[in-house]
Amino acid sequence: MTTGQLTPWVIGADLGQVVLFLIGAPLLVGLMRSIRCRMEGRIGPPVTQPWKDLRKLVAKQRTQPVQSTIFFASAPVVLVASTIVAVWLTPLLSTQVSLVGGSDLFAVVFLLLLGSVSMSLAALDTATAFGGMGSSRLMTIVALAEPALLVAILALAAPLHSSSLSSIVVASLHHPVWLATPQRLLSFGAFVIVILAESGRLPVDNPATHLELTMIHEALILEYSGPDLALVNLGENLRLTFMLALLSNLFFPWGIATGTGGWSLPIALVSLIGKVAVLGALVSVGEVGVAKLRLFRVPELMAGAFMLSILAVLSALVIA
Amino acid sequence: MRSDSLTSALLALSSGTVLVGAAVALWRRTARGIVRAMQLQGVALAATALVLGLQLHIALLLVTASLMVAVKVVVIPLLLQRLVALDPSNAESDPVVNVPASLVAVVVLTLVAFYATRPLVRAVSGVPVTLAPFGLATVLIGFFILVARRKVVSQMVGLLLIDNGIALVALLLTTGVPLLVELGGTLDVLLVVVVLRVLATRLHAELGVLDLDALKELHD
Amino acid sequence: MVALVILMAPLLAALAAPAMGWRRAMPWIGVVADGSVLVAGLIVALHDVNHVAPIGAAGYLRIDALSAFMVMVIGAVSLLASWGSVRYLRHEVDSVACTPRQAVQYSVLIQLFVATMLLAVTAANIGVLWVAVEATTITTTFLVGHRRTRGALEASWKYLVICSVGIALAFLGTVILYLAAQHAGGTSNQALDWTWLSAHARTFNPSVVRLAIGLLVLGYGAKVGLVPMHSWLPDAHSQAPAPVSALMSGVLLSVALYALLRFKAIAVLSVGEAFPRALFMTLALLSVALAALLLITQRDMKRALAYSSTEHMGLMALAVAAGGPLAITGVLLHMLGHGLAKGVLFLSAGEIVIADGTSDFTEAAGLLTRRPGLGGSFGLGLAALLGFPPFSLFVSEITMIRGELAAHLAWAVVLSLVALAVAFAALATHGRRLLLSSTPGELVGQRTPAAAMAPLVVGLALCAFVGVSTWPLGPVLRAAAKLVVS
Repeated sequence: MTTGQLTPWVIGADLGQVVLFLIGAPLLVGLMRSIRCRMEGRIGPPVTQPWKDLRKLVAKQRTQPVQSTIFFASAPVVLVASTIVAVWLTPLLSTQVSLVGGSDLFAVVFLLLLGSVSMSLAALDTATAFGGMGSSRLMTIVALAEPALLVAILALAAPLHSSSLSSIVVASLHHPVWLATPQRLLSFGAFVIVILAESGRLPVDNPATHLELTMIHEALILEYSGPDLALVNLGENLRLTFMLALLSNLFFPWGIATGTGGWSLPIALVSLIGKVAVLGALVSVGEVGVAKLRLFRVPELMAGAFMLSILAVLSALVIA
Repeated sequence: MRSDSLTSALLALSSGTVLVGAAVALWRRTARGIVRAMQLQGVALAATALVLGLQLHIALLLVTASLMVAVKVVVIPLLLQRLVALDPSNAESDPVVNVPASLVAVVVLTLVAFYATRPLVRAVSGVPVTLAPFGLATVLIGFFILVARRKVVSQMVGLLLIDNGIALVALLLTTGVPLLVELGGTLDVLLVVVVLRVLATRLHAELGVLDLDALKELHD
Repeated sequence: MVALVILMAPLLAALAAPAMGWRRAMPWIGVVADGSVLVAGLIVALHDVNHVAPIGAAGYLRIDALSAFMVMVIGAVSLLASWGSVRYLRHEVDSVACTPRQAVQYSVLIQLFVATMLLAVTAANIGVLWVAVEATTITTTFLVGHRRTRGALEASWKYLVICSVGIALAFLGTVILYLAAQHAGGTSNQALDWTWLSAHARTFNPSVVRLAIGLLVLGYGAKVGLVPMHSWLPDAHSQAPAPVSALMSGVLLSVALYALLRFKAIAVLSVGEAFPRALFMTLALLSVALAALLLITQRDMKRALAYSSTEHMGLMALAVAAGGPLAITGVLLHMLGHGLAKGVLFLSAGEIVIADGTSDFTEAAGLLTRRPGLGGSFGLGLAALLGFPPFSLFVSEITMIRGELAAHLAWAVVLSLVALAVAFAALATHGRRLLLSSTPGELVGQRTPAAAMAPLVVGLALCAFVGVSTWPLGPVLRAAAKLVVS
């Protein structure tokens, strides 16, 4: 179960995963946006608006700052590619993955980190003040968020003595007490905070406004336009969707296909879409009630997430 | 067996929540947030007593649980909130040790607690004892707050954390001591808080602020 | 029956005070109550010294030789303190430094304080002991902050926080000891009882008992004032009213040490002599060393006396570490002598504050020429504290040293003697400055009123008497020491 098996079923499931995410990620973001709008009392754009924006952007002209080098040019591709590989590696539709060696949590977290770092380097590469500002802010957050994410997933993996995501998901399926242990609750808390930080949602960063002075995300992508910007937006959407899917499968894995039975894949598809949609909706609803944190408070929040994740590991050690 | 594992899980959950309450008390900046964290901890502590009482069929523990709820969730936070109202600047504006460093300290202290209770866990068998590190970690966090925070409300919270942590360890180790001692323990906390509040009121009348840094007269 | 008087007398006095309201004669109720405590303790000590008698039916209290002796110590020092309170309260109310209501509050609290201390020494189980010691902390907090000045408030805050932390640790230690007892087969009532614990301690799990005794020493040690938990002591004892300081320095510290004495006896049965001895010795040597060093630079009388208390508690802790009948007898005798001498000194300091308005050594200099009576009593009290014969501290210190030598702790004895010498020099210098140096043209030969001198003279006389005669304390001391020596 943990090593890759190159059966057609498994390869099909994995390809299906990737396609699903590519198509569904902007739709999820559109859904979250429209839920937020409804809660704020307006109708807002339709759910497919992000796809329309992407199509519009692809048709526009690509520009590049004069001083920029390969980092700026390659970052959008690296972002999307790393996230797609991460999607491919993670047991989202099926507990079996088609890569030899299986889905390693370190690999997945490293891929996410790769995406963040490439964006940060690209922003520095523009040699503008806003780019440098955005880059340093992003690094402040990532420096604490990535370890927190890693340790949070480790807390789930530690009792199993394996770093494979598949084994965590399978163990969650068999565990009768799903969320009611300290290590899972603490890990969940840390995870949620990291998702909010990495994908630039409130209270860390406001996705609804576009002021580069107060934002992190906007300052990073200020110089991008045309197809590059389309790729960057797609990459960001993919990251959010992927992390929500990871959260749902690590903690609420019901519906995932464990075998190769006939109906298991459609059921997995439906349950994954359902879970991610629900989580996205909850994030949106939560955003409406929260105000953005001042920037110097964000490291406190991240340190708190880190603390929660380490407490999760310690709890796992104590109770196991 | 299934109910056994369920109660063990609930016990682990409530003990873990006690520790999380302590960590949140260190994390939050506003006095209101800190008081809410103490209430959460009180509820978790009472839940631990409740689960233990139900599991071992000791009626005394149910009495203890209700006493804890009454004192730690209702009365003491009420007293703390009145104290907060006395001096609105009770929010810890610049703690001696900043928040991220304090949170790292929480992690370190939990590790220390884990290792310090190893001999005890080895000596005594049974599931509840393995959860003792949570209680000891709460005690250590309470010490840390006493040292690292200078506002009067934070000092009281530090004392309360020490007492709550010790109460948790006592509950887990012995599944309750005789009623007299348990009563004494909980009432002691209440009395200390009452007395501290009286002192704080007098301090406020004398000094105008509730900041311990203003108390520097006596030294060698 | 007699034993019942012991506990009821201060409680009744505490109830009578608010009923009477403030009168100039009202504090005498407390004096009578504490005197009867002393007498009752003496009666119990002289008559049934060798067996353990329960008090009341509930089984929470009992009195044995050690308890009886402690009752006498408490009675003697509290008699002095409440005698001194009479004049103190009159002066405070007359000079409008405190309202009559606060004076009544003070009287109630002092008697409650004495009652809680008596409860602690007559406790039959470790739970009641803990509750009683906690109660002493709460009653004394208000007494320390009686004057409501900034310094008093700061001192009472620090006192309450540090002692509450200590008491919480002691609670954990008590619970862990209870756990060890339960695992050795005790029921929930037996596992707390002193007698049962001493009888069955050999079967307790040593590592659990080690943890318990460590916590108990840290916790109750904070109340004893041992370094490093001592930081509340100088502040509290210098800011509190003089009679309260006399009581706290004289008895409260000794009551906490009594608790440690009993706990050590039990722990030794389970873990052997080595670990408790090392624990007590470390704290003891730290205390004597730090107290001696800090005594050198003191300028305030009461603060210097407070540090001297830490010094003596350290000496006693060293003897407790040694164990053995000689050392323990020395400790018990030292508790009495130190209580009396410290009480006299604090009351004298209080009188000096009333007379000269200051408690600084240099500002009140030339005391012997200005007020011979007061200066004389302070001087004699200082002599008693420094261990001059015929006062009993001479005998008790020598006995403690002999006990420590018998336990092969010669090096520790040498260290403590060095520290003692430093403290001696410091106190003697301060005393000389206070009593002897004078400026010409001051008023000389003022009389101190007899009402002020009376408790001082009685205290000194008692201290000298105990230092010279083995009656009536000989048998009690022997029986008490036997109880805590394994």
